[in-house]
Amino acid sequence: MFKYVSRRLAYAIFLLFLLSIVVYLIFGLLPIDPARISCGVHCSPATVLGNRHRLGLDVPLYEQWWRFICGIFAGRTYGDGAAQFTCPAPSLGYSFPHNECVTNVIAGAFPFTLSLAIGAFILWMTIGVSFGIIAARFRGTFIDKAATAFVLIGSSLPTFIVGLLVYIAAFLMHWIDPISQGLWVSPFSDPFGFFKNFIFPWITLALAFAAIYTRLTRGNVIETSSEDFIRTARAKGVSERRILIKHNLRTSLAPLVTNAGLDFGGLLGGAIITESIFQLPGLGMISLKAVLHDYDLPLIMGTTLVAATFIILFNLIVDLAYAYLDPRVRIA
Amino acid sequence: MAIRQLRSSKVRLIASLSAVALVATGMVATTASSASAASHTGGTLIYVTNADSFAHADPTRVYTGEDIAFLNTYLFRTLLSYNPTVGQAGFQLKPDLATDTGRVSDGGKTWAFTLKSGIKWQDGSALTCEDEKYGVSRAFATDVLTDGPTYAIQYLNIPKDADGSSSYKGPYKKTGQALFDKAVVCSGNTITFHLNAPIGDFNYFATYPAMSPVKAKADTGDKYDMNPMALGPYKIQTYKSGAEMILVRNPNWSAATDSVRTAYPDQVTMRFSISEDVRDQIFLKDSTPNAVNYDQVMQPANQAAFFNSSASAGRGMNVTGPYTRYYATNVTPGHMDCLDVRKAVFFAINNKALIDLAGGVRFYGKLGDSVINPLAGIDYAPTHGGIHDSNFNIAGNATYAKTVLADAMTTCPDTYARVTDPKKGIAWDVANTATGQKAATLIKSALNAAGIQVNFNFIPSAQYYPTVQNPAKQGDISTAGWGADWANASTVIPPLFIKEGGFNENQNWNWTGKTTADPGIGYDAWHSRVVANMGQTDRAKQSAEWKALAQIVTDEYWAIRPLFSIEQEYWGSKVGGASFWLPQGALLFPALYVK
Repeated sequence: MFKYVSRRLAYAIFLLFLLSIVVYLIFGLLPIDPARISCGVHCSPATVLGNRHRLGLDVPLYEQWWRFICGIFAGRTYGDGAAQFTCPAPSLGYSFPHNECVTNVIAGAFPFTLSLAIGAFILWMTIGVSFGIIAARFRGTFIDKAATAFVLIGSSLPTFIVGLLVYIAAFLMHWIDPISQGLWVSPFSDPFGFFKNFIFPWITLALAFAAIYTRLTRGNVIETSSEDFIRTARAKGVSERRILIKHNLRTSLAPLVTNAGLDFGGLLGGAIITESIFQLPGLGMISLKAVLHDYDLPLIMGTTLVAATFIILFNLIVDLAYAYLDPRVRIA
Repeated sequence: MAIRQLRSSKVRLIASLSAVALVATGMVATTASSASAASHTGGTLIYVTNADSFAHADPTRVYTGEDIAFLNTYLFRTLLSYNPTVGQAGFQLKPDLATDTGRVSDGGKTWAFTLKSGIKWQDGSALTCEDEKYGVSRAFATDVLTDGPTYAIQYLNIPKDADGSSSYKGPYKKTGQALFDKAVVCSGNTITFHLNAPIGDFNYFATYPAMSPVKAKADTGDKYDMNPMALGPYKIQTYKSGAEMILVRNPNWSAATDSVRTAYPDQVTMRFSISEDVRDQIFLKDSTPNAVNYDQVMQPANQAAFFNSSASAGRGMNVTGPYTRYYATNVTPGHMDCLDVRKAVFFAINNKALIDLAGGVRFYGKLGDSVINPLAGIDYAPTHGGIHDSNFNIAGNATYAKTVLADAMTTCPDTYARVTDPKKGIAWDVANTATGQKAATLIKSALNAAGIQVNFNFIPSAQYYPTVQNPAKQGDISTAGWGADWANASTVIPPLFIKEGGFNENQNWNWTGKTTADPGIGYDAWHSRVVANMGQTDRAKQSAEWKALAQIVTDEYWAIRPLFSIEQEYWGSKVGGASFWLPQGALLFPALYVK
C-alpha cells in the first residue's frame, strides 16, 4: 500500500511539474503583453521596459518558469530598493492586479470554493442517492416517473439558467441581500449568515449533479437487483428492506464513489458559473477574471496548480476508497 | 461603461465655466453648506460598483476622475481642493492642506505652498513638509507606480535622459535624487516647486492625489495601493479586491483643520463586484435605500425604466458630463492618411443609430463640434465645418460621402484604392462587447452605402486601450475619449495630439500635412504651436490659440463624431445631499449623508 501511494504521489508531482510547463508555454505563445496591459495610459517604452522587469517578464520563458519553481520552495523577492518585498515559500508568485502574493489570494478565495463544494456535495448526494434508491425501489410507478422527470429537467437545464432564475427569485423575495451576498461569513461565528450566503449557490450547483446521481443510483440499484447474490438472499427469505440496505446498496453505491470523488475534487478547483452568478469570489471567479481581464499569469498558474492538485489527490483517494469498498479490487 | 474604459484618462474640469448645463430629470441639489451637520451625521453609506476594486487607491496612481473625488473626500487630503458645492462655485480652488491656493513667482516658474499645522496622519504622527515632498517624488518611480498622472514629471525642473524619461528615477532607486531635491525644496512648513517653464495653472494640479503627501515609512511600494495611509476623515478598515472597502472614522482627523470635508456617515462601504443586473435592480427596487451607484451608469433599458418611473423620482440625476468621446483616425501613412477619406467617413457615419444604440441623446451624449468639451469653459468655442457643414446629416449622408470619396481618387489614389477594396478596407478597432458588435454592424452598413469598405478588429475590452495605444498594433480608426484634467485645454490638446502627450491615438506625429491633398500645417509646426501655448502665460491668448488648434483638429477630421457625454447618478431613498460636483464629474461626495 505504502509503495503504491508513494508511486502515485511521485506521479502526481510529475504531472503538476508538466502542467506548469504547459501553462507557461501557452502564455508564452499568446500575443499578449502583460507589461503593456498593466502599463496604463501614459505608457512610454521606458515604462513598458520597467514594467516588464517588475513583472519578471524580462527574462526568457524558461527562466521565468524556473524562478516560479524555485519560488515554491524558497520564496520570491520582487522589486528593487525600498520597494522590495517578498512572497514567502511556498510562493506561487505575486499577483500585481491584486497587489498580493498569489498564495494569499488563493487562501482568501479557497474558503468560498470549499464551502460551496462541501454544501453542494452534501445536498446532491443526499437528494441524488435518495431519489435514485426510491425510484429503483418503486420502479415503474409514478414515483419512478417523477424521478425520471427530475433527472431529465435537472440534467438538461444549464447551470447559468438555473443560477439566474434562483438568484432573481431569491432577490425578488428579499431572501438575498445583494450587498452582503458573496462576502465571507464564517460558519463558526455566524452559522445562519453562512447558510444564508450559500444556500442558493448550493441549490444551483447541486441540481444538475443531483439529477445525474439520481440516474446513476437508480440504474445501479436496479442492475444489482438482478444479481445472483440478491436472488439468493431473497430465496433465503431475507426481507426486501434488509436486502436493499445490507446487500444491494453496498454494491450499487461503490461505483458512485468514483464519480463523487472526482466531481468533488473538480469543484475544489472552482465552480466558475455559480460563483460568478452569486458573486462568490472563489477560485473559479478569480481564475476567470485572471484569464479574461487581467492576464494575471502568476494567479492563473496558481489556481491551475491548485485545481490540478485536488483532482489528482481525489483520484488517489477514490482509488483507495474503492479498494476498501470493493474487496474484489486489490491495489498492486 | 465606455468612460470607465478610459480608466486613467481622467476627468476634471474647468474653472470659469460659461455654460454648465445640468440636464435634469427631477434631480436634487442640496449643498453641503445648507445641511445641518448634526442631523446628517451617522449611518453607513454604501457605494455599489461592478468593478472588482479601485483601478488604484495609491494616491500617486489614482487617475480616474470619480476615484479622485471619492478618495480625496474620504481618505486623502491634497494641497488644494475644489470647492465642495454645486454649480460654478464648485470650480473655485480652496486650500486644503495648504494655507492658501499657492504663491507664484519667477514668472510662473516657481510655486510655493505652506502646510497648515496640526494635521495628523491616521497613526497620530504629524504631517510634515517632507511627507509632501516624498509624496510628489513617487510619481517618478514609473517602474513601480504605474498609471498615475505625469504632470510632475513634465512640469518640474528636472533634466530628461536621452530616451525622454526623467533623470530622477524616484525614491526607491534614488537615482538623480539631488536633481529632485533641487526642484522641490522644503523649508519649514513651506514646500516650493521649481518648474521648467511657466505654468500658470500649476495649482490646479495640486488638487490631485498625486500631489498629496505620503509618509515614507509607511510606503510599501506596489502594495501601498491596497493600504494607503489616511489624512482624511476616514481610514481603511478592510480593503479586499472583489469584495469591499470599509472606511471607518479616523480619530486623528480634525475638522478644525479641514474646511472641505463633512464626514457625515459613521462608515463608508464600497461594495465591489456587484453584477450589472443586480446593481441596476438595487436602484430600480430601492432594495438598499442607503446605497449609491458608483458606476454612474445603468444598462440602457434599465436607465429608461428608472428615469421614467415615478417611484425613482428624486433618486437619480442625468447630467452633462465632462467627457468628449470620438473615433480617432490614425493618420500614419498607410492608414487614414488621406484627408478626403477621413472626411468621407465622417459624413457617411450614421451617428443617430450609434448614439441610440448606446442610450440615446438623453442618456449617452449629444453630437459635439470639438474635442474640447463645452464644460472646459473659456477654451471651448464652436468650430466651423464638421457637424455644422450643410452636408452633414446626423443619420449619415452617403451621397455626399461618395462625392468626397471620389475626390480621394485623385488626391490620394493609393488610400482610395485600399479603402474601397473589399479585401482590404478600413481596419476599425472595436472593443469586443455586445454593444461593440452591434455598433460595428451599423458602421459597416453606413460606410458600405458610401462605397467604403471596412473590417473590424474585435479586441477584448481589457486589451482595448493597450492595443490601440500601441502604434504597432493600432488599426486605422479606434475609439477614444477624454475629459479635461482641469480648467485649461492644456490638459486636452497636448495629451491627445502631440507625440509625448501620452494618449495620442491619431499618431499624428506621422502626419504629412502641407501637401496638395492636405493643406494642413504639418506636424512640426503643429507641435511647436501646442508646446508654445502650454507655456503661454497670457490666459486670453492661450485660450484663443487652443480654440484655433481645436479648429485644426476638426478640419483635419482627426476626431470623427465628437460626442459630449451625458452621465447618470443613482442613489437610494435614504441617501441625502446628492448633487453633482462639476469639476470632478462625479457626485458631490462630501455632501452625501444617510437620512
